[in-house]
Amino acid sequence: MTNGLIDFILVSVALLAIGIYGIAVKRNAIRMLFGIEMVVNSANLNLVAFSRYIPNSQGQTFALFSIAIAAAEVAVGLALVIVAYRMYRNIDIADFRSLKG
Amino acid sequence: MIDFTSTPIILTVILGTIGMLIPVINVARKEKGSSVYGVITLGALLASIGFVIYQIVTKQITQSAIFSSNVLVDDKFGSFFAIAMLIVGIMTTVGSFNYMRSRANPAVYYSLILLSSIGMVLIAYSTDLVMLFVSWELMSIPTYVLAGYLKKDPSSNEAAIKYFLFGALSSGIIIYGISIAYGLTGSTNIEQVIAGFSHLSPDMMPLALLAVGMFIAGFGFKIGIVPFHMWLPDAYEGSPPTIAALLAAGTKKAGFAAALRVIIMGAIALNLHWAFALAVIAIVTMTVGNLAAIRQRNLTRMLAYSSIGQAGYILIGLSVAPISPIGIQASLFHILNHSVMKAAAFIAVAGIVTTLGVTHIEKIKGLGKKMPITAFGLTISLLALAGVPPLNGFWSKLMLFGSAIDAGHTVSWAPYLAIAGVLNSALSLAYYGWIIRKMYFEDDGEQKRVKEPKSVIAVMIFSIIFIVGIGVYPDPIIQFAKSAVPIMSGLPAIH
Repeated sequence: MTNGLIDFILVSVALLAIGIYGIAVKRNAIRMLFGIEMVVNSANLNLVAFSRYIPNSQGQTFALFSIAIAAAEVAVGLALVIVAYRMYRNIDIADFRSLKG
Repeated sequence: MIDFTSTPIILTVILGTIGMLIPVINVARKEKGSSVYGVITLGALLASIGFVIYQIVTKQITQSAIFSSNVLVDDKFGSFFAIAMLIVGIMTTVGSFNYMRSRANPAVYYSLILLSSIGMVLIAYSTDLVMLFVSWELMSIPTYVLAGYLKKDPSSNEAAIKYFLFGALSSGIIIYGISIAYGLTGSTNIEQVIAGFSHLSPDMMPLALLAVGMFIAGFGFKIGIVPFHMWLPDAYEGSPPTIAALLAAGTKKAGFAAALRVIIMGAIALNLHWAFALAVIAIVTMTVGNLAAIRQRNLTRMLAYSSIGQAGYILIGLSVAPISPIGIQASLFHILNHSVMKAAAFIAVAGIVTTLGVTHIEKIKGLGKKMPITAFGLTISLLALAGVPPLNGFWSKLMLFGSAIDAGHTVSWAPYLAIAGVLNSALSLAYYGWIIRKMYFEDDGEQKRVKEPKSVIAVMIFSIIFIVGIGVYPDPIIQFAKSAVPIMSGLPAIH
C-alpha cells in the first residue's frame, strides 16, 4: 500500500470503531445518530482516499451520493426523535419499552 | 448508455411520477377522502406489473446475465423480483384502503408506499454497487417514516426508532463494505468487483472476506438473519399492520435480491467455506425464529418471528447454491410464495385490527364465525407458511429441502439442512395450528358476524386463489424461477 493511504485507512477505521462504540454503549437517541453518522463518514473517507490513490473518480462520485443519502436518512431520524420527545419528554431509548415479548 | 425503453427505467418513471404527484394532488384538492389516492396508487402499481409482464412476454429479455457494464440490467432475475415486489405493493395498497379511511395524511402514506416500491424494484435490477445502495436507501427511508406513521401512538414511534437505528447502522455497514470492495478492485461495478476479487493476491484476501462479511451483516439486518434480528419483532409489532406486510413481504425480499448478487461475489471471494457458514446461519435462524414464535401471545409478533424462521428456509437455497443447481431456483420460488403468504397474513391481521381492534391471540376466539372470509384467508396463508401439501408453500419447501439433499452428493453436511428444515416445519405447525384452533374451535360466546372490510376481502380472495392455484399447478412459476436464475458460467471457477 502507498504510504499516505494507510494513514487515511487508520483514521477511517478509528472513526468506524468510535461510531460502533457510540451506537453500542450510548442510550441517548441523538448520540446514537452521531454514531451512525460517524460510521457513514468513515466509509466516505475511505472512498475518497481510495479514489485518490487508485486513481479514478467513481469513489468520489459515490461519496457524494452517500453524503446526500445520509443527510436524508438523518432528517427522517431526527423527525422520529422529535415525535418521541413530544410523547415521552425524553429521548433515552432505554425508556422506550412498550414493545416486548 | 442507458436504454430508456428498458423495464427498470419505465417502472421508475411510472411509479416515481405518480408517487411525486399524489402529494401535489393532495394540496390542490379541497375535499377530504383517502380512497382516491389509494386508487391512483393501485393504478400505478397495476400498470407497472402489467408492463413487466408485457416486457417478459413480448420482448426477448436477456436470460439473467446478472452482470452488465451499465448500472441497471433488464433481465429475468430483476423481472422476477419486480413482479414479487409489485404484488406485495398491490396487496399492501388494497389492504390499506380500509385501514387508512379514518387516519390522517393518506396522500403521503400512499406516496411513500410507491417510493419504497421503486427502491425494491430497482434493487433487483441494479448491477452496480452505487445503484444498489441508492435503491436500498430509496426502499428503506420511506419505510422508516411509514413504520412511525401513527404519530400519536407510542408503540408505533418506538418501532420506527428501533427500525431506523438498526436500518441506518446497517446501511452504514454496507457503505463501508462497498468502500473496501472499491479499494480492492478499483470499481463499483459488481462484475468488475467479482473479477477483481478472483485475481486478488493472497495477502489481500482477508480484506475481501471483511467486505463480504460486512455485506452479509448489512443485508442480514433487513433480511432478519439471526444475530441481527432483534429489531424485527418490535418493528413489525409497533408499526401499522399493513406496513408490517410491506416490511415482511417486501423489504425483506428485496434484501434477498441484494444478498443474491453479493453471495455470488462471496462465492468467489471466500471459496467453499462460506457455504458452510451460511448453512449454520440458516439452521440457527430458522430454529430461533420458530422457537421464539411459539412463546408469543400477540398475533403480529408471532408472525414476525415466523418470518425470521422463513428467512432461514430461504437461506438453505442460498447456502447450497454453489453445489446444487436448483438451490437458487428453490429460493426464488419460496421468495415469491412467501411474499404473498406473509402479506396475506398481515393484511388479515390489519383487517382484524380495524374491525375488532385486537391482536392478542386469546381475543381472536370465534373469528371463524365473526369474520369468516378473513379467518379463512388467514388459515390458508398460515397452512401455506407451514408447508401443508396442496398449497404453494409445500412445493417451494420441497424444492428447498430437495436442493439440500441433492447437495449431499458433494458435501456431507448438506442433508442436515433438510432435516433441520423438516423439523422446523413441524414445529411451526404447532403455533400456526394454535391460531387456527383459536379461530375455529373456541368461541367467546359471541357468534354474531361482523361486517368485514371489502378491501381486506379482496386481498384475501386474491391470495387464496394465488396460494391454492400455484399449489395445484406450480409448473409455470417453477419454470419462471428457473429462467430467472442467474447464469453462473462465464465466471471464474469456484475453488
